[in-house]
Amino acid sequence: MKTAPALFIRVADITLGITADSSDVEVRPQEVTRKFIVARRKPDVVIQARWGDLSQRSWGKKIFDSDALWQLYQENGSYVFRFTSPILGLHPYKIACFNKEFSRGEIHLHRSYFKPDQPVDPFEYPLDELTVNHFLATREGAEVHACGVVVPPGEGYLFAGQSGAGKTTMAKLWQKVNRVNILSDDRVILRKKNHRIWTYGTPWHGEAEIASPEKGPLTKIFFLRHRERNELVPLSKTEAVSRLFACSFPPFYDQKAIQLVLAFFSEVVKTIPCYELRFFPDERAVEFIDEKFF
Amino acid sequence: MSTRKEQGTRVKKKPYVKPEVKQVPLRPEEAVLGYCKSTAVAGPMSSLCSTLSCYSNGS
Repeated sequence: MKTAPALFIRVADITLGITADSSDVEVRPQEVTRKFIVARRKPDVVIQARWGDLSQRSWGKKIFDSDALWQLYQENGSYVFRFTSPILGLHPYKIACFNKEFSRGEIHLHRSYFKPDQPVDPFEYPLDELTVNHFLATREGAEVHACGVVVPPGEGYLFAGQSGAGKTTMAKLWQKVNRVNILSDDRVILRKKNHRIWTYGTPWHGEAEIASPEKGPLTKIFFLRHRERNELVPLSKTEAVSRLFACSFPPFYDQKAIQLVLAFFSEVVKTIPCYELRFFPDERAVEFIDEKFF
Repeated sequence: MSTRKEQGTRVKKKPYVKPEVKQVPLRPEEAVLGYCKSTAVAGPMSSLCSTLSCYSNGS
């Protein structure tokens, strides 16, 4: 049987190598993910995709239910994500099995739910994001619900907050400023590398559809809050860790991973100043930050 | 006493701050990555989503 060519996607310096076990699985990532495709290299996570019949399969013990698209099971020490949709039927349209280190996985696509002779994205959201989050949780990193910008000469700012906080608004305001590189309008990844905290763009953008594969050294974190006038309030380290955690996507069912993510956030706030940014959503918010720090 | 001797230097005691509990709200529906996030979904969802208007986009 002929094996399909491998695809290499790199997010936050994590290389995901995806292959199909036969040429009749035509892997085609979504357009935004194509920006993150890189040349062949040694992957950190090896994933193989194949067709299957998931109508009869067992899943092991359920350990988490997202109450939406996916559930997680544990089976012989491995993790099994099960993806379902009410519009498709009772059976999962896809499952993904990973070893406990999240370095190796297999994706099984339920053949009868897919149109024949059409390309598929076996790694489509939310599996791509779940995989990266699980991989990071034990490796000094985390994904944060934030807009990320890199301001010359290389200051990485994070504007964090839950939906409605103003991340996309902030990204659009920074877009009007020359030589500012916007990493994402919705989701960034933080990692510790070479004794520094770095912020990376991700494919998981917001309404402004800004998704850059680039990175920058993190220098400040702002937690967004809409107000009538612009104001900056420094936060204690404890409060900053709590707020970062509330804006992250850790594996909630894994106690060890939660401890590691909290330890990582504690490490981040040791060196990175954190503020609550109360802002009125117009150009003056960007000018206000500019005046405060330049 | 508001000061103490430590290795030959006098160190000021930090003023007492009464502990307080602050609540930081979580949004479970966002944190668990359960939403459909893209309108350019591949796989079996691509045609069905647009036909049945089944999107629940999260950002």
